[in-house]
Amino acid sequence: MSEPVASPEPTASHPDSTRTGPGRVLIAIYALFALSASARAGVQIVTKFSHAPVAYLLSAFAAVVYVIATVTFAVGSPTARRIALLSCSIELAGVLAVGTWSLADPATFPDATVWSGYGSGYGYVPLVLPVFGLLWLRRWNRRARTRRTIITSAGDAGEAADGSVDHRHQETSWRRSG
Amino acid sequence: MNGAVPTTIIVAGLVLAGYALLMTALNRRMSVILLAALGVLEILLLVEVGLIVAKLAGGERPAGLATLIGYLIAMPLVPVAAAFWGLMERSRWGPAVIAVAGLVAAVLMVRLHQIWPVIHV
Repeated sequence: MSEPVASPEPTASHPDSTRTGPGRVLIAIYALFALSASARAGVQIVTKFSHAPVAYLLSAFAAVVYVIATVTFAVGSPTARRIALLSCSIELAGVLAVGTWSLADPATFPDATVWSGYGSGYGYVPLVLPVFGLLWLRRWNRRARTRRTIITSAGDAGEAADGSVDHRHQETSWRRSG
Repeated sequence: MNGAVPTTIIVAGLVLAGYALLMTALNRRMSVILLAALGVLEILLLVEVGLIVAKLAGGERPAGLATLIGYLIAMPLVPVAAAFWGLMERSRWGPAVIAVAGLVAAVLMVRLHQIWPVIHV
């Protein structure tokens, strides 16, 4: 019996990595934030660190998170995706925590960080970015799981038939929307 | 300083972003038109860099000189990086990358004005 669904199909229209398709846009924005946050934090820490140490250290931390996200999305291996999942989660938690902190205690932030006011200084992109990152990763992890299920069920067609049909439907709909 | 060039860059960036997003919505790939528009944006950005460098050479200094120099280096790289990154993508998401570059160019002009208010928008 042939099981045509399990082939990876790395064609142009179907993303074959977290680097392609919508991921291309995600990486472009992450790279932009990695660059600008690093440069900004670097200048602030070198020239006027004592003015707002907490804000500048948080900016530097945000910069590191953005660099990690850029690199891991660009690499796209299963390990990179796991690191990206962690860093996007930290990023989202960071935006929410620092955003709340900056509103509750403005005295600690005489100068803004990337994440102050939930990223209001950057059009709230810092708040939206990790959400899209996590959604993009979920799509990938679901796809990887689907492929594993199909490969397993291909050798064991009788028992796993129901499950694999269901998952196959999921992957087809994923492709159509991509 | 004359604000005509930054204003033109903002308008051009937003128009480019709008057109590129339309191409994404219509499921089109990268096109020669998008590349040509990026080229125009690049020229405009280089003109703006030239104007600012001339002003610096004239002896005027902003408060955040380091930041300004960072912007002068990064600004002309935006359309170039977007062109390469967008061309690698053979789907509707190529134009979407170009849209990001257009928006970034517009935002950079506003930020430039904040860094050095003599750069009028």
